[in-house]
Amino acid sequence: MVDATTIVRATLLGLQLGMTLALVAAGLTLIFGMLDVINFAHGALYMLGAYFGVVAASELGSFWAALVVAPLLVAIVGGAIEILSLRPLYGRNPLYHILLTFGFAIMIEGIVVEVWGGQSYRIPVPEALSGTLSYGSLSYPVYWMFVLVVSTILIGGIWLAIAKSDLGILIRASAHDTEMVDALGVDVSKVFTGVVVFGAALAGVAGVLLGASRSVNPGMGFGVIIQAFVIVVIGGLGSFKGAVYGALLIGLMTAYGALIAPSLTDLFIFALMAVVLIAKPSGLFGATEAA
Amino acid sequence: MSPTSGTGTNTQGRERQQRSTGSSRRRFLVGGAAAGATALGGCLGGLTGSDGGDGTVTVGYVLPFSGTYSLLGESIVNGFEMYVDQNDGQLGGRDVEYVQRDTEANTDRGVSITREMLIEEGADVLVGPVSSAVAIAMMQTVETEGSAIWLNANAGDYRVVQDGCLDYHFRTSFNDWQTSAPMAQYVYDEIADNVMLAYADYAFGQNSKNFFSEAFQEAGGEVVGEVGVPLGSDDYSPYLGEIEDSGADAVFSFFAGSDAVNYITQFSDFGLDDQLTQTGSGFLLSEDTLPAQGEAALGKYSLLHYTPSKQTDRNQTFVSNYQDAHDSRPNVYAVQGYDSAQAFDAAVSDVDGTNPDDLADSLSGMELDSPRGDFQFHPETNDPIQSMDVRQVVESDGEVPVDNEVVTTIEEPEIPTWGCSL
Repeated sequence: MVDATTIVRATLLGLQLGMTLALVAAGLTLIFGMLDVINFAHGALYMLGAYFGVVAASELGSFWAALVVAPLLVAIVGGAIEILSLRPLYGRNPLYHILLTFGFAIMIEGIVVEVWGGQSYRIPVPEALSGTLSYGSLSYPVYWMFVLVVSTILIGGIWLAIAKSDLGILIRASAHDTEMVDALGVDVSKVFTGVVVFGAALAGVAGVLLGASRSVNPGMGFGVIIQAFVIVVIGGLGSFKGAVYGALLIGLMTAYGALIAPSLTDLFIFALMAVVLIAKPSGLFGATEAA
Repeated sequence: MSPTSGTGTNTQGRERQQRSTGSSRRRFLVGGAAAGATALGGCLGGLTGSDGGDGTVTVGYVLPFSGTYSLLGESIVNGFEMYVDQNDGQLGGRDVEYVQRDTEANTDRGVSITREMLIEEGADVLVGPVSSAVAIAMMQTVETEGSAIWLNANAGDYRVVQDGCLDYHFRTSFNDWQTSAPMAQYVYDEIADNVMLAYADYAFGQNSKNFFSEAFQEAGGEVVGEVGVPLGSDDYSPYLGEIEDSGADAVFSFFAGSDAVNYITQFSDFGLDDQLTQTGSGFLLSEDTLPAQGEAALGKYSLLHYTPSKQTDRNQTFVSNYQDAHDSRPNVYAVQGYDSAQAFDAAVSDVDGTNPDDLADSLSGMELDSPRGDFQFHPETNDPIQSMDVRQVVESDGEVPVDNEVVTTIEEPEIPTWGCSL
């Protein structure tokens, strides 16, 4: 039944799903790695990205403008959340952050329902990216391929930046030993704000990219945050590399699961998480106890 | 002293979602009786099946107002209250008092709300729910209390009738056989003699594809395969591959809400329009999904009991009234709410009271002139006997670039009774 075309198509979908999930999970894991904050509002920021994208695309009449403007707006919201509410709570029991960001998630969803109502929206796919690519019996929408390419470039770029650039070194150092970096004369709180703003912008990009191939609705934030958490836990909390590998793993499992046993896909994903947690409690690329 | 008035004042402070539209005369009465009634109201509420003469009627909304289904709950309320407003705020010549609770589409909430409405608030009529699971959970309570009429303004699972078969339950909406099976003959005659089935894998989706599948094979067609997709899926690409590979000429689908948006747009994005004709239940291509589906919906067929663009005077008047009131076109849920109010108004006028047994007698077999077209409560099941529209999505010059156009109307298909014989 399952032929080569089907497998190639599922693989493409899995990679694309994985890369867009990585955009969301990367923000989540960077924020945790730096700030020790589990940001429950991250899914809501992704949703905001999609809604801002809908508005920007219709007001400015351009998908490309939306792809720039919406993440910027989400970044502002993320920055405001960090400065006004997260910052005063650093160093407290993590439960404070969890409750606070969970509260934000509920508030943002409430506001979205109030402003845009319960119906679905979609960002129109730009003319240049509509249509399908065909190769033999395989056809795949151009736009979906575009999403795969853009998110891969973004993730690759961030990976390089973290591994090679001075800023990357500063971020890793701040995460590793905040006090030491602070003592060296760096304003760590600015680095923290920067990471939250950047993480929010990534979630916003993912929201706009997926808002054109999926419906934009008030429940979308909650769906994605669960997946992102599973990814971050599997990959290792705080590990960027872990988030990328975890996201690809979950993306491919979802796509192949749909071919084999659609109703069991979620079960497989959570079973995988359980196995990883039992075998390696810190996740695939998580820091060990000693670190 | 009317106990109903008592419960009204009693609950105003407690339930902030409640809205009350009593006349000043009634308020005066309430004021006088408030002291005693506030204490007793809670206990007496259950006894207010009938308040004789010219009292008030209490409408209890058992609907979701938050979460995924909030849009449906609000639309039902909009429709219901539009009818009441058009009739000087009265139903059956009585002032109307609303009690509103959010079911959150949760079965436990649905049951406790139903109990509260019937026992404490003394509701004369229950309007709702949206979810069939909630409806099935409510049946026992409604039957045991026997104190109110239940106008089911959405929940369409056939098992609400098959398992319940309640005197007090009247569907102002549809059943899932109606929104799928009658289309089979049309698809066989006009579109294709073989189909693939694709459905959201939960009770309603499964019922819809089963009913269609049976009817399609009876008509002489061949069902070449089926694919069930978990409810709430975002990506349909692997399933679309299966549909494409099936080699069928048409596909019959049940998806609703954001699932319908994702399925239809991806169906079109993957270029399946060139190979298969998309048909399905009307929820696949409806007022609440078409704006997001846009051009991807063009040319696709679906079946439903209400189409806002239907060119009848009754409907066009309804649509323009609704548009004036809510700045949007009515959807199928709004009509179901509107017809609930219409049915209750007629029944209360007919029996001049709110005794639930009298009301049930009056409603049984009652005919209504609805914006959807005439319909009648089936004397044996209390399901609506109604005509179904086959629609096709066409380009439109309205606010939304695409719209449903009625292709043909299937006149009052005979509905199954599932062993229910009232």
